[in-house]
Amino acid sequence: MDFDVINVTTTDELCSAIAGNLNNNFRIGAGYTDLILELKQARVQDLTIINIAQLEDPSFNSIIEKGDHIILGALVTASDLVDNKKIKEEYPVLYESALSVASTQIRNSATVGGNICNASPAADMSAALVALQAICNILDSDGRERNEPLVSFIKGVRKTSLVKNEILKSISIPKNSSSHIKSGFEKVGTRKSMEISIVSLSYHIQCSSEGTIEKAGVSCGAVATTIPFASSACNFLIGKNIDAISEIERIGFAKKVLEYAIPISDIRASAWYRKEVLFNISKSIFES
Amino acid sequence: MKIAFKINGKSITKEVRPSLLLIDLIRDVLKLKGTKPGCLEGECGACTVIIDGYAINSCLYLAINVNGKEITTIEGLSGTKSPLHKTQEKMIEHGGVQCGFCTSGMIMTTKAFSDKCIAEGITPTRDEVKKSLEGNLCRCTGYVKIIDAAEAVYEN
Ligand code: FES
Ligand code: FES
Repeated sequence: MDFDVINVTTTDELCSAIAGNLNNNFRIGAGYTDLILELKQARVQDLTIINIAQLEDPSFNSIIEKGDHIILGALVTASDLVDNKKIKEEYPVLYESALSVASTQIRNSATVGGNICNASPAADMSAALVALQAICNILDSDGRERNEPLVSFIKGVRKTSLVKNEILKSISIPKNSSSHIKSGFEKVGTRKSMEISIVSLSYHIQCSSEGTIEKAGVSCGAVATTIPFASSACNFLIGKNIDAISEIERIGFAKKVLEYAIPISDIRASAWYRKEVLFNISKSIFES
Repeated sequence: MKIAFKINGKSITKEVRPSLLLIDLIRDVLKLKGTKPGCLEGECGACTVIIDGYAINSCLYLAINVNGKEITTIEGLSGTKSPLHKTQEKMIEHGGVQCGFCTSGMIMTTKAFSDKCIAEGITPTRDEVKKSLEGNLCRCTGYVKIIDAAEAVYEN
């Protein structure tokens, strides 16, 4: 494994490093928990890594509140999310998904931006963020910014909408409009730790004080080439009372979630099994 | 690339190849062989070291990124003149060591986790202790004694 590294510590340096390497083969390095493995296998020649691990810009490496959004810098690690009280209390889906990433050691390095930009349909934090209807804040090498919903930012396995002179700067999630929430991340793998999802279900449901469902976000991981947002399943829930979802409605909801699953069979599970599991976990979230 | 860092309390400045991995810096350049290369893929935790309080896999970390940081390896916990760290004592007491290959990783993970728990004033449950060790594999002990040892760190 051999490559050159351009180390950047400010956003200006980052922009010029990208601008100066548009004709070269470069990659962005942040937490390295996936990149090092990939580079070891790929044996790429003439590669430059733009190292952003030492970038000191709060818009890249902190969690802040701004207006009606919470903004997560792309360099925020899975552990930063797990340790953040607000995330744990108000966005259990995101907390649980971050806690399910690999191991403590990996969570201490792995960044939320890397989890998103790797564009794996089985990425746990990305799946939770799709359910939260997160927006990607993207910076280009001329300093221009654009926003795009995460659900469309992920274009397919290992594909995002980023073009060569762009980088993911941060991710915004809308603040909750209610304090009565039902939110969680369900993951099925072949063992408890260090596991890549066979199927995951993320849900973030907001209710009125009487329990009427007002807003819902549901996404499923590892069952398609992207991470689908199950809008018809979400719409199905609106107006229902969270504490009185009948067995028939649970099945109706699970069927709607399943419409978004176009899984493949691979070494971890067959397509049939993935659908069965997705159906059952979707149904189970309203069984208390 | 030139980097300056602290390891086990000692300040060091070194010129390193940009693609050098931290585990190779520790074992081959600094000759600290207590940090073990197991899978070299982030799965086994044998290579665990602590950087600024956080346990990380040194096999998935670029050496250049320790610039300005403080590393602790197993050699930093005790020496011929200083007593064993509590996590090490408990490991011996509970018979958590067989071949020993996983041990330094287990100890470093346990130390980082217990430092954090103690700083926050919490005593973790057995399940939390177990969860904290999810990134460390052991081929010998069957884990029970290691978890017993990691839990015993919180006894007075
Ligand atoms: S050697 Fe680093 S995790 Fe196994
Ligand atoms: S004691 Fe041998 S691997 Fe753990």
